[in-house]
Amino acid sequence: MLGLRRRAILAFGAGATLVSMTLAFATYAVAHHYLLSRRQTSSVIRTMANARFVQQELASPNSIIPDVLSSLATAQGTQSLLYRHGRWFSPSVSIGHSYVPSSLIEAVAAGNPAEQRTVIDGAPAIAVGVPIPSIGADFFQVRGLGDLQQTFGTLGAVLFGTAIATTVGGCLLGWWAGRRLMRPITTVATVATAIAGGAIDRRLPVDLDRDPDLGSLSIAFNDMVAKLELRIERDARFASDVSHELRSPLTAVNTSVDLLEHFRSSLPPRGERALDLLRLEVSRFSTMVQDLLEIARMDARAATLDLEGISIDEFVGRIVARRGTHVPVRISATAAGSVVQVDKKRLQRVLENILDNADAYAGGAVLVTVDRDSSGTCVGVEDDGPGISPHERERIFERFFRGAAAGRRGTTSGTGLGLSLAAEHVRAHGGSITAENRLEGGARFTITLPVIGE
Amino acid sequence: MGARILVIEDDESIRSALSMFLESEGYTVADVENGEEGLVAFNQRPADIVLVDVMLPGLDGFEVTRALRSASDVPIVIVTARSDTHDVVAGLEAGADDYVTKPVVTKELTARIRALLRRSTMGPLSDHVVRIGEIEIHLKAQVARLRDDELRLTRTEFHLLCALGENPGWVLSRTQLLERVWDYDYFGDIRLVDVTVRRLRAKIEDDPSKPVRLVTVRGLGYKLQP
Repeated sequence: MLGLRRRAILAFGAGATLVSMTLAFATYAVAHHYLLSRRQTSSVIRTMANARFVQQELASPNSIIPDVLSSLATAQGTQSLLYRHGRWFSPSVSIGHSYVPSSLIEAVAAGNPAEQRTVIDGAPAIAVGVPIPSIGADFFQVRGLGDLQQTFGTLGAVLFGTAIATTVGGCLLGWWAGRRLMRPITTVATVATAIAGGAIDRRLPVDLDRDPDLGSLSIAFNDMVAKLELRIERDARFASDVSHELRSPLTAVNTSVDLLEHFRSSLPPRGERALDLLRLEVSRFSTMVQDLLEIARMDARAATLDLEGISIDEFVGRIVARRGTHVPVRISATAAGSVVQVDKKRLQRVLENILDNADAYAGGAVLVTVDRDSSGTCVGVEDDGPGISPHERERIFERFFRGAAAGRRGTTSGTGLGLSLAAEHVRAHGGSITAENRLEGGARFTITLPVIGE
Repeated sequence: MGARILVIEDDESIRSALSMFLESEGYTVADVENGEEGLVAFNQRPADIVLVDVMLPGLDGFEVTRALRSASDVPIVIVTARSDTHDVVAGLEAGADDYVTKPVVTKELTARIRALLRRSTMGPLSDHVVRIGEIEIHLKAQVARLRDDELRLTRTEFHLLCALGENPGWVLSRTQLLERVWDYDYFGDIRLVDVTVRRLRAKIEDDPSKPVRLVTVRGLGYKLQP
């Protein structure tokens, strides 16, 4: 199915062709007929006049017929012939009576003036015959229509040319009209694409005076987008609001659990175990709420970084040391002592999440590396756990993706959000994070941070 | 420890849980459910530390902090809902010494309280009067004077002055100040340092916008000019 524009062009072009061709043909036909009949009429009148003249001249006995014939005032290309007493007379030898159609000769011989169209040497001509009974002669004149033919040719060419030009003009008009028609549709398409791409605050311009039809479409469209925007905002706020509301009850629960710790000695063994369970689950719940809140914050705000110049090796070293697991930290010569601009809180979360992940799924990290070159800083966390399957590698940074551990709560407090939060924080720095398997077994997570305004 | 803590918190569960917990830690706790009652209670019987939630009905936490601050240098810890919005800075500017974020981790809370209850020390100089420029630090009395006028400093501002004054002319980084003054580790919130420096400058500088006594050393930290 052809597009709107093509159809407009075709319609206009076809319409223009139809009209102009019809007009051209009509004009040509009318002109042709008119000019021809006028020529005919004038030829007849001329011939009749000439016939009278001949009659007069030949009334005197001394007249020589060829001379009389040649003295006739005739239009260009007219041949005159006289038939008298069985003999043909003409002004010059070269003209024979074969010029005159036999049917005309018969008609005139019967005593009627007549005219007939004929062809002489391939060119159209008109033959007129007038009987002159008083001298017992039939007078004929044959006139070529070659000049008319030329006129018709020129006329035809001009008309045809005009028709073609009109057709082309029609197509152009169609093209232009199509574009004008398309413009509002193009506007709608552009705005819709922008909105789909995230610019939810875009709207269509509404100008009811200029275009009432488009105006009502614009109003309906804008209304729809506004409602969608509200809905999206509400949805985005929901997770954040819920998590926020949970902070207060969590505080009360946390504090009560800590308070119960004081009474541990007076609890029976089962009471103690219950307290341990409570503590573990509350801790897990608390982490989940924190993670959800953080995710909601990331979605809501732009990537505003709270940059601070830190000594990267000291930073990483302290984070690792804090965990008390004695994981070796290997710092390259280029990284030692170098000051890097980072968002401290975010980077802390990134490293801790990756280390937590290593603890939960790979038995703990075995090495942390810090490297630096002209393009940025590189921090790596390696473990010698089961590694990452190819299928997992793509999805490991997705929210709530827990891989093989999904469905098993077990002893981990994993929400599935840790790595995706880490990835978002790294991305906010303009950096990248990858997970791959080491040659010697286990996995390696690499964070690359580009140089920021140093 | 026997110190008195005033808890101003409208959420009943949090209020009673916190009060019970702090009591089990050895503190004496008075608790109220809104700002007005808090101010009345403090006037009747001043506490050693005040814990106030920023979101209260009626008088909000910031206003309570400002009111308390205008009459006393009692250490104030605000309880905020979010740590990344302006709540923290607003609370610090209003006069708070530190903050904890909900959900409150009791270990952190007790650490904050302990840090705020310490006396300021300056190494072996504990009984002396230390003079730095026109500033005098009287460690025994835990007060400071500028050109003979007693400075009304909060506990934290005094801590900060002492930390910087221990080695006049030496630069202390913000991280070092966090550790010395607030007893945080490397990962504390440096906004605490920045806002408290601002507040201290407002009290000891003739022109706080052009500090000459408490000077910033770009990229390194702060120092007290000798």
